[in-house]
Amino acid sequence: MGAITVTIDGKPCAGRAGQTLLEVARENGVFIPTLCYDERTEIYGSCGICVVEVEGNPKLVKACATVAADGNVVHTDTERVTESRKTMLELLLSNHTGDCRPPCVQACPAHTDCQGYVGLMAMGKAQEALELIKDKIPLPASIGRVCPHPCEDECRRGLVEEPVAIAYIKRFCGDFDLGGGGWLPGCAPDSGKSVGVVGAGPYGLSVAYFLRRMGHAVTVYEAMPHPGGMLRYGIPQYRLPKDIVDTEAGIIERMGVEIRYDTKVGADISFEEVRKAHDAVCLGIGAWVSTGSGAGGEDLPGVLGGIDFLRKVVRGEDTGIGGSVAIIGGGNTAMDACRTAVRLGAKKVYNVYRRTKNEMPADAIEIEEAEEEGVIFKNLTNPIEYTAGPDGRVEKALLQVMELGEPDASGRRSPVPVEGKTETLDVDTVILAIGQAVDPAGLGAEGLELTRKKGIAYDPATFRTSLDGVFCGGDCGNDKISIAVEAIADAKHSSGVIDAYLRGADAPYRQPYIVERTDVTERTFEDRERQCRPKMDVLDPAVRRGNFDEVVAGWTLDDARQEGSRCLECGCGDFFECRLYQYANQYDVKPSRFLGEYSAPPAPDRLNPTDDGHPFIVREEGKCILCGLCVRVCEEVAGVAALGLVGRGFDTEVRPEMERPLAESGCVACGQCVSACPTGALQERLPLAKSVPLETEKREDVCGFCGAGCRVVIEEYAGMFVKAGPARGADGKLGPICALGKFGLTENPLLDGAKAKAKALGAVSFEEAFAAIGEEVKRLKI
Amino acid sequence: MRIVVGEGSCGVASGAKKTEAALAALLAGRGGGIALEKAGCVGNCYLEPIVDVYADDGSLSARYVHATEDRAADILEGAADDLLISGEDAAFLTQQERIVLRNAGLINPEKIEEYIAAGGYEALKKALTQMTPEGVIEEIKASGLRGRGGAGFPTWFKWDAARNADAGGGAKYMVCNADEGDPGAFMDRSVLEGDPHAVLEGMAIGGYAIGAREGVIYVRAEYPLAIVRLETAIAQAEEKGVLGEDIFGSGFGFSIRIKAGAGAFVCGEETALIASLEGERGMPRLKPPFPAQKGFWKQPTNINNVETFANVPFVIREGGAAFAAFGTEKSKGTKVFALAGKIKKGGLVEVPMGLPLKDVIYGIGGGIKNDRAFKAVQMGGPSGGCIPAALADTPVDYESITQTGAIVGSGGMIVMDEDTCMVDMARYFLDFTRKESCGKCNYCRIGTKRMLEILERITAGKGEDGDIEKLEELAVKIKDGSLCGLGQTAPNPVLTTIRYFRNEYEDHIFKKKCTAHYCKALIRYEITDACKGCTLCAKNCPVDAIAGKVKEKHEIDQGLCIKCGKCEDNCKFGAVVRD
Repeated sequence: MGAITVTIDGKPCAGRAGQTLLEVARENGVFIPTLCYDERTEIYGSCGICVVEVEGNPKLVKACATVAADGNVVHTDTERVTESRKTMLELLLSNHTGDCRPPCVQACPAHTDCQGYVGLMAMGKAQEALELIKDKIPLPASIGRVCPHPCEDECRRGLVEEPVAIAYIKRFCGDFDLGGGGWLPGCAPDSGKSVGVVGAGPYGLSVAYFLRRMGHAVTVYEAMPHPGGMLRYGIPQYRLPKDIVDTEAGIIERMGVEIRYDTKVGADISFEEVRKAHDAVCLGIGAWVSTGSGAGGEDLPGVLGGIDFLRKVVRGEDTGIGGSVAIIGGGNTAMDACRTAVRLGAKKVYNVYRRTKNEMPADAIEIEEAEEEGVIFKNLTNPIEYTAGPDGRVEKALLQVMELGEPDASGRRSPVPVEGKTETLDVDTVILAIGQAVDPAGLGAEGLELTRKKGIAYDPATFRTSLDGVFCGGDCGNDKISIAVEAIADAKHSSGVIDAYLRGADAPYRQPYIVERTDVTERTFEDRERQCRPKMDVLDPAVRRGNFDEVVAGWTLDDARQEGSRCLECGCGDFFECRLYQYANQYDVKPSRFLGEYSAPPAPDRLNPTDDGHPFIVREEGKCILCGLCVRVCEEVAGVAALGLVGRGFDTEVRPEMERPLAESGCVACGQCVSACPTGALQERLPLAKSVPLETEKREDVCGFCGAGCRVVIEEYAGMFVKAGPARGADGKLGPICALGKFGLTENPLLDGAKAKAKALGAVSFEEAFAAIGEEVKRLKI
Repeated sequence: MRIVVGEGSCGVASGAKKTEAALAALLAGRGGGIALEKAGCVGNCYLEPIVDVYADDGSLSARYVHATEDRAADILEGAADDLLISGEDAAFLTQQERIVLRNAGLINPEKIEEYIAAGGYEALKKALTQMTPEGVIEEIKASGLRGRGGAGFPTWFKWDAARNADAGGGAKYMVCNADEGDPGAFMDRSVLEGDPHAVLEGMAIGGYAIGAREGVIYVRAEYPLAIVRLETAIAQAEEKGVLGEDIFGSGFGFSIRIKAGAGAFVCGEETALIASLEGERGMPRLKPPFPAQKGFWKQPTNINNVETFANVPFVIREGGAAFAAFGTEKSKGTKVFALAGKIKKGGLVEVPMGLPLKDVIYGIGGGIKNDRAFKAVQMGGPSGGCIPAALADTPVDYESITQTGAIVGSGGMIVMDEDTCMVDMARYFLDFTRKESCGKCNYCRIGTKRMLEILERITAGKGEDGDIEKLEELAVKIKDGSLCGLGQTAPNPVLTTIRYFRNEYEDHIFKKKCTAHYCKALIRYEITDACKGCTLCAKNCPVDAIAGKVKEKHEIDQGLCIKCGKCEDNCKFGAVVRD
């Protein structure tokens, strides 16, 4: 065939006469997305995502269906092309239902793969689970203890009985790791770049960890003598023992991160010096200033800041609290202060909060345990004034009695004062656990832009501050004082940006677009068996009141495994291979523009897909984009035609032949349709105890079931077999595979079915075949 | 004397079969002398049943309209002068130029002899015995005949391509596209019912020209009468030897069979039609390869529309120049239109290409029903667009119509008056194409659905700022990104209504008003002082929303009113108005 040259995006590309533009582009490494294209089938041209512009042709042309001509000048990245692809994807996604990712992953600020590690735990794979967690959370033992787990708030198991104990599983994995000496993740080869991190709190330690994994040299400057920041100095020992923080920080140091303790930037070393010493600097100084509510007398002796108080306790300093302590505030810091005051021997510990317990931001378990330890809750009261006794120390707290009014913008009911009704508490100590602020001393003078509240200002997508090469994350930035995992999320997201910056690139963080179901209710899971969490041992209140011993005991491997099995497997099993998801994010889609009816609306009573009774193949109609690949591959490649298109227009759908369940069709379970499906509309049941989506590694092998010697791709996760599929031949086309190669290459209990089917494919006489066909025809209800 | 009853589907629907039966019964009692025949539709569908009486010399002596069975005796007695066609209605026909419809309504479609008597199969004989296949194609080229199915592609070019295509030793096929699916279009049906041999003859000539020995007529199953008449015609033609082996001793053989479609609009698209012919799901295929290269069973195939074929015998018999004498420079010959909608005289009209639109609507169609104001005409069915009254001078030819944003298409002409809401009209057509999309291309499948949802929102009074722009964006991208003509043209009704009636869209969205007082969500019924208190409205109101005493003005309770319009329909004084 004659050689031709086509110019694609300015690049001369060699091709052969008769090739399509797509083939020429692919052979020359130019990316053109496709959804309905498969080398093995006749060109179909339905998806329209492969459109390109060819000079001299006023129309957009489909690269898959257009034969290249010598001298063609092709553009794959014009605005018209991009816009057409984008709108097409938006239309597809406007009719695509399901959950790309499970709600737990979405709820976690760091998008930790909760479903993945919970699933691995269900398989008893603690090490693999730990490694998956550490992809996003460098401090799992610590975070597993203190995280208020927004993941669990969204966990749909809560619609059955109670959410999966995702945090406890994380803690188990973390403890498992520490018990084994600590896993050291591999780091990329040294980049030659260095990063200075200010603060060894959750943000600083984490960003150091991620950047180190990327091969950068990292030095952390820490003002305190020990690592952990607020994890260490703001959270009491009984919740998070210090040695856990030390050990987890130690792992990061063992990875090669240098932490300089007792080195306060702006005091012990100048900010300018730090900037000069590194190619980039990350600020993670936290928010260490306690703020009050503005009540009178907050400056009296005996009135303390909540985090100041907690820090003093950690450092073994005298807190100066008396026997009657009022803690103001309803968050976790307030509960920590209450329970610490109890442990320090205070006789009466009050918690003053202006709403009811239901509105308290603190974790329910913290409130419950504080109550068990004797904390007196003065809900619906708000301090007006603290007054001093004769010795000048605070003696009384005057409280305004409140009631709940209308819900505010956040949905919480606002407290309003009950006119003229007050209450007085006799106290000798008041601890203000209301809010925190940033102390940017030592950094502010250098031209660093601050927020109105003196936080460090940065761009939320690029994490860049006003100073070149200076990034920021965690509590100290943008007045976003939040939970530790939020700071870790900042670390994860900013590390990518900083890495790009160090390589001279720009890669702002963008929250990925995903499809999610919003219609799931209790009804969805009515058929599920109730199964509660394994029991978690906690110290008896009477015992724990008097010491700082850790309250929560932690789980055994069996507990964690059992708990993992409660996962409902919400997230799409094909997440890691879904081309629709990949393109959607590549083209920055906004499908909400076209929201409307669904052709296959999600069933309110099921989370999981169409039940075809098929032993290996699972269909999800709501995820079908009607590319027709399954239908065509089944007919043209497998020669079976077990699937077909039914209906017209928007309501067209793929159905097994004669509209019977797939298991009753002529399907030979070769799984070619699953391999061809670009989305999660056709998936396979994995031979795993928990069929969770895992980012597998692929290797090629030869199937040994028969003498044909088909080449297969084996997909593994951490050495564990996940699935098999056809391999690409030298011609670039996927090769043949049968049920045994596809679904039999494992200790799959379902294998018997396939074997039986394979056996049934032996040679028979004409009469037998005719009789069998007759039986099959009779079975059809037509 | 000969009596002919018009028995196209329109006539049958109006009771022509009963009229025929009544006439037959009466004639049976009288003895011989008077022949009773049937014919297809003559074109004045609005006057059916029509009974023609011919004198012995073959001239038309009387044409009775609305000739229902109870007037059969009167007709025979000569006591039905009140039914004689008026001069004005007769002019409906005389203003036309009839090539395609030359025999429609005049000959008995079930008798090949009548077709032959009218000069039928002379063209085929001429082609086979006096012309080479190339010569036939040359003649077609000289005629300037373009495809009447919608796209207006030069017929000779397609034939030439099919003739020159390498069949690899296999067959070539001549396919007639009779899958007429546009709402309101019935040109092809009338031809098939009224003059089926014209189509057969055209196909045979075409088969000779391209070297095909086999023809297939893909006709929609919803045309049962057409199918029956085609079957009869094929059988008679075979019997007469004008189809079959060695026609007119030329050595050329040609056979035709019928394939009934299953009712998918998209099968009118040629590649989908081929898929359907092959027993596959009716879904368009990529072009190239074009059917002329790889069509039916991957063999060279030529596909023409019914009307195109019906023109062919005339072109061959009278010569291309005779055909080209009609029409404009680029659009030759005549075109059949199905006039429907708010028109006084709905029916089939055949006019020379280039006649101004207003001459069709006012001249032949007699203007707008109830003398309302002419607002627009939808041309080309759901694939076409609307042409506003302001452009009524537009000549009806391919280029001029395309310039307006509409298309000549297969010839549907739906006339709209001032009471038609253009947004709702666009919604109607999009609802049609949305349902008829085969579902293959994403843009067509989902895009038309989303456009429809936006239009439904707008007509329900829930339109939002930005909706018009979103419609325009989707329209352009759907046209750009669809494989076949259905998707490429589906947004046209929306685009043209936005182009000419953007104000109506804006009124719906921003003022929450339906300009034409049509969209239920945006109107209210009110009773004016013209009310005489006859109580008819209140009696007919299904939800008892109207109250009032006899001989006093009535009132509508807007809270109860469901806007069904029964009050307006029943008011004899025009006192119920829509606001």
